[in-house]
Amino acid sequence: MSRRNRNPVTARRGPSLNLILTAVVVVLAVAVLGGVLLTNRSAADGTSAALRPPGSHTLSQSTDDKVTVVEFLDFQCPACVAYHTNITRQLEQDYQDRFTFVPRHFPLDMHPLAVPAARAAEAAGRQGRYREMHHALYDGFDSWAVTEDGRSTSADLARATAAFERFASQVGLDLDRFRADLSSPKVQAAIDQGRADGRRLGVTSTPTFFVNGVRFQPQATSIADIDRELRALIDRELAG
Amino acid sequence: MSRNLAWLHTVGGGLGLIAATALTLEKIARLRDPSYVPTCSLNPVLSCGSVMDSAQAEVFGFPNPLLGVAGFAVVVTTGVAVLAGFSPPRWYRIAMNAGTALGVVFVHWLIAASLYDIHALCPYCVVVWIVTIPLFWYTTVDTWPVLSPLRAVHGAVLALWYAVIAALVLAAFWDYWTSLL
Repeated sequence: MSRRNRNPVTARRGPSLNLILTAVVVVLAVAVLGGVLLTNRSAADGTSAALRPPGSHTLSQSTDDKVTVVEFLDFQCPACVAYHTNITRQLEQDYQDRFTFVPRHFPLDMHPLAVPAARAAEAAGRQGRYREMHHALYDGFDSWAVTEDGRSTSADLARATAAFERFASQVGLDLDRFRADLSSPKVQAAIDQGRADGRRLGVTSTPTFFVNGVRFQPQATSIADIDRELRALIDRELAG
Repeated sequence: MSRNLAWLHTVGGGLGLIAATALTLEKIARLRDPSYVPTCSLNPVLSCGSVMDSAQAEVFGFPNPLLGVAGFAVVVTTGVAVLAGFSPPRWYRIAMNAGTALGVVFVHWLIAASLYDIHALCPYCVVVWIVTIPLFWYTTVDTWPVLSPLRAVHGAVLALWYAVIAALVLAAFWDYWTSLL
């Protein structure tokens, strides 16, 4: 009964202040958030540019770009070398030309030689030998990235530089040009770009993989299982 | 305590209890078998696994959802008791407000951790965020007569609160949301 009496009163007064304000907030929020999201649809392109800016190196290049794997890496990170030895090196061979594999620099501050190593890779890239130097840096990890007793992270730049020059000769680089390129601003710019893009994509540790733009977060803990998980994902994307 | 608030405690507390229980069960399953993938791990962004495995998931040395199971059970019980005719004394209502205040502070700390440290959203946790905010807000305006002017705009405050969190979630996982479009 009281309800019946109240209704006409409310009807005469119109909707309450609370209702109006709530509706205003909801409509504004939906309009602003939805609008921002919709008008920035092209931001998805921004993501792909952040993942793989023009001129990025590739360790494998497919013709159709159906599957693109991007790895943010640090040459002096122990987990990265473990991934390289046990996962990516073989993956690169097994899926060569069937997937596009883009390495990006994400040198971490805790590794004093990560930036010099990234410079060496970029400098080799300027002579068209990025891939060879990339593998040489990881294959020769023990000779520059860790101390001679193999127990801790090395900070010995002279020893590392000597190792990088040895790798440079092995992969057939013009050594004078290689030395000059190590301090080139373009080389540094490529590294800075990797760091900035990685941060933008929320990368905080290495290695971090993105498979077709989606961050790969393995559920497995053993490296063999992670390898299987990554391969299964790539196979799914290739089939899909 | 108003009947509306009692209903909110019953329904909101019930949803929170379900979410906290689900998370506890997922945690047990994961402890039993470390390779177990939680049912709420849908993709890299919507992922309970990465949230549950984080250091922030055990702030007090035991899994957070246990706090939820205990806390939300009290909220539901209070709601049902009030609907059944219980009229809580002043100290009880203040205690409920203090409890929901602790809950809402904790939830906001967890939101920050989820968005800026863990970089993943866990669906059950989001349910807890969604119910804890109104539980705190409406318990507060109901408990303190001095706040009665705010009752005139209660829905707008809640909507604004949700909108700010939605905007933060949108910004933090921007690349994910745009990839869905």
